[in-house]
Amino acid sequence: MDYKAQLKLQALLDGELPEGEASAVTKWVAEDCEAAALLEELRNTRGALAEFEAEVRLPESREFFWSKVEREIQRLETPAPKPARESYWALVRRFLVPASAVAVVLLAGLMLIRPAGSTGRSVATDIETALADSGAFTYRDYSAGTTLVWLSYPADNEVVDSDEMDTFE
Amino acid sequence: MRAKLIPPTGLLWLTTALALLAGGGLRTQAADVKFQAFLLWGTDNSKPPEGKAYQPAAADVLQKLKELPIKWTNWFEVRRKDFAVAQDKVTEVAMSEKCQVNVKKLGDSDIEVSLIGKGKEVMKRKQSLPKGEMLVLGGNAPNSTAWLVVLKRIE
Amino acid sequence: MTVKDHSSADDQTLVRASQRGDMAAFEELVARHRDRVYARAYGMMRNEEEAIDLSQEAWVKGWQRLRQFHGESSFGTWMTRIIINLCLDQLRKHKRQRAESIEAMEEESGGVERQMPVITVNPTAGLERSELRQRIDQALGQLSYEHRMSLVLHEFEGMEYKEIAKTMGCSIGTVMSRLFYARRKLAALLADLKNRNSV
Repeated sequence: MDYKAQLKLQALLDGELPEGEASAVTKWVAEDCEAAALLEELRNTRGALAEFEAEVRLPESREFFWSKVEREIQRLETPAPKPARESYWALVRRFLVPASAVAVVLLAGLMLIRPAGSTGRSVATDIETALADSGAFTYRDYSAGTTLVWLSYPADNEVVDSDEMDTFE
Repeated sequence: MRAKLIPPTGLLWLTTALALLAGGGLRTQAADVKFQAFLLWGTDNSKPPEGKAYQPAAADVLQKLKELPIKWTNWFEVRRKDFAVAQDKVTEVAMSEKCQVNVKKLGDSDIEVSLIGKGKEVMKRKQSLPKGEMLVLGGNAPNSTAWLVVLKRIE
Repeated sequence: MTVKDHSSADDQTLVRASQRGDMAAFEELVARHRDRVYARAYGMMRNEEEAIDLSQEAWVKGWQRLRQFHGESSFGTWMTRIIINLCLDQLRKHKRQRAESIEAMEEESGGVERQMPVITVNPTAGLERSELRQRIDQALGQLSYEHRMSLVLHEFEGMEYKEIAKTMGCSIGTVMSRLFYARRKLAALLADLKNRNSV
């Protein structure tokens, strides 16, 4: 039984086949034990799942769960209080302190970027990936400091030869 | 808490300290960078293929692989190479007969990595790779297994 | 002030009252449908704590969007659509999520489900409900998120292939493949659990 036929059995079970096709598949199932067995297996699995969800309950009491929902609704609906007006000196101070910090950082940065004796070339920190494989993707885990580049070539690709399946070397 | 303005003398000490640090940084930039490269084989089987004495991948590498969105649960080390890369130089590292990884140091922590498979470049990537971080290149292998080339910066 | 008893009102009445700002009416709706919303979240996330948090978020969103509900479906169905979208968003952010290309590769290069022997004995026959639930729970936990999602949306949410494809952002063919893989894998896992427990 090919894969397409197997999917047709599933579609028959799920009521996704057009009428004409459904009749044809039903007739085929009646004549083919293998098809009938697979359909039965799919039906059993569906039956098992139907029983499953009915038993799932939220493991918190009605009152407790509602109190959390209600609190969150009220928090979102309560407008945030407007900040009190600041004095003139407070405003100036708020500007001057970060401005001095920025000046120090800029000064430090200038010294680090152009150290004496270097070629003066600034280092590229942009990430660039040139791939022969357009289906590849990149994933970055910032907390672990790990970058994954996954190539989507089929299993017998340019890196691993299918002839070396056993050796992998 | 009241915010305080930094006095001018304090600013002078701070910039002097930063200048000394920058000078120290210069010395480290010129030094070679050390890496470890691993060729790993991933499988859902708990053992390597018969006749192959592959060891499980290093624990610290395994730990990081677990955090990645790849499904294989067991990783075996096929090959491991330690190497150094000098500033603006390319180091070529053969991980297998058909797989090579070239690493070029571009700056403090920036590198360019090329993956060569059966003589063809399949990937080139520039990125920052600070000490302790890993670049993992991978793909599918026959029989629902996978291969990885893991590049870890150790110095 | 007397608190109105909403327990005998139907959903439609409660929705209208909630839309007018009646929190007590909304609380009754929450009480009636919370298990269903939670069950959907748990089916998708496989983590109790996350499912509870997402359920809570779904109810808050439900309150905020009540005016957009016009009775085109039942209120319960409307709420489950909200939780499904929240779970999908969460799963996309999740580290455990596997990328589409790897999953697609697995289905293409694997094809395990096409060659699996048919499970002829119903692996759930003769089981107590609680034991069956536990086994299914265990087996569902071993499916990947895409496969589990397809199953949850089809079997529990009653979505058609077309709707699942739209919700998951994939083709109908992919939905059919995932559903087939998930069902066959589940059957094999349940059969395996039955065999292990009977040894």
